[in-house]
Amino acid sequence: MLITNPLNSSALAFPILECFHIVGLAFSIGTIAIVDFSMLGIGLRSHSPAQLAKDTWLWTLGGLVVMLFSGLLLFSSDPDMYYLNWAFLIKMVFFVSAVIFHYTIHRKAVSSDVPPPNTKLVAWASLLLWAGVIFGGIFIGFIYPGLNIG
Amino acid sequence: MLLSFAQWIQFTAFFTALRGSANVYPIIMSLHMVGIAMFGGMILMTDLRLLGWAMRKQSIADVVNQFRVPKRWGLLLTATCGILMAGSKAEEYYYNAFFRTKLILFAIVIITELVFYRSVYANPAALDQSPSVPGNAKLAAALSLLLWTSIACCGRGIGYIEPPLDRIHARIQVIHDAALTGPRAAYPLKGRDHHDVASAN
Repeated sequence: MLITNPLNSSALAFPILECFHIVGLAFSIGTIAIVDFSMLGIGLRSHSPAQLAKDTWLWTLGGLVVMLFSGLLLFSSDPDMYYLNWAFLIKMVFFVSAVIFHYTIHRKAVSSDVPPPNTKLVAWASLLLWAGVIFGGIFIGFIYPGLNIG
Repeated sequence: MLLSFAQWIQFTAFFTALRGSANVYPIIMSLHMVGIAMFGGMILMTDLRLLGWAMRKQSIADVVNQFRVPKRWGLLLTATCGILMAGSKAEEYYYNAFFRTKLILFAIVIITELVFYRSVYANPAALDQSPSVPGNAKLAAALSLLLWTSIACCGRGIGYIEPPLDRIHARIQVIHDAALTGPRAAYPLKGRDHHDVASAN
């Protein structure tokens, strides 16, 4: 290998990045779930989902940024392995869908003054998309491409 | 005594089957993570509210009281999945320094919750009435943030400690695993999750 990724020269780099990845996940998915639960009538009910979203969006975005950048670094440690890992590919499909959904349909449903009739459907879709990201992420460690590459 | 309990529980039919299953184990781990994302986020937001850094438009009483029930459900989900995972490899976990640290941190969490229960968690409305959030509430929140973050990191660390193969009985067939010829073989320290697929009893 011509280029050595410094991440691979330290045994601690990968697990420490994973910790950042998990804390970022707790902030981003956690705050999104708070809004989703509120749309479903669970949790904080004294305020509207719109108000909750206004109060948490910065934490959501911050968590997403931490999760994304730690994730890119984790990916960089062994890109061809991830590329061949179907759990990783599924995770990326869920992740891109979840982010697009969050900043389009979800945001519209949350911020409208009168909750649209499909509010609960949007909340469930959001929760399931993010759960899909988590499942994909965990399964990465359990899948082997079974190919000798690199 | 703890060790013999660990050895006994991991060889019960239930945990033996769980350890050997290629799919159920990662599903439980994923649900553990879903619990962390959904329940951990509520802990973080409650702590940050007490510190005055987030959700300041909501009263402390609303945040503390209304998150209480969903947080308990989240804890139930996360803890159940955690116990299922630990039980299936109880002997290995017994020797695992990160698992031991995690249990100690749980004990400290329980102690801090008890210590601060009356002054912070039992009567959050009183916190709203004082002109600024009292110091002990902020201390409780800061400790909670630190402890729960450390618990999550310890949990991630568990997978990085190689079990003492000469002492554990539920052997994981690392040597014969195709994994070692795969692309990750170059970085064997990068977690052992994948070896579980080929776990043997």
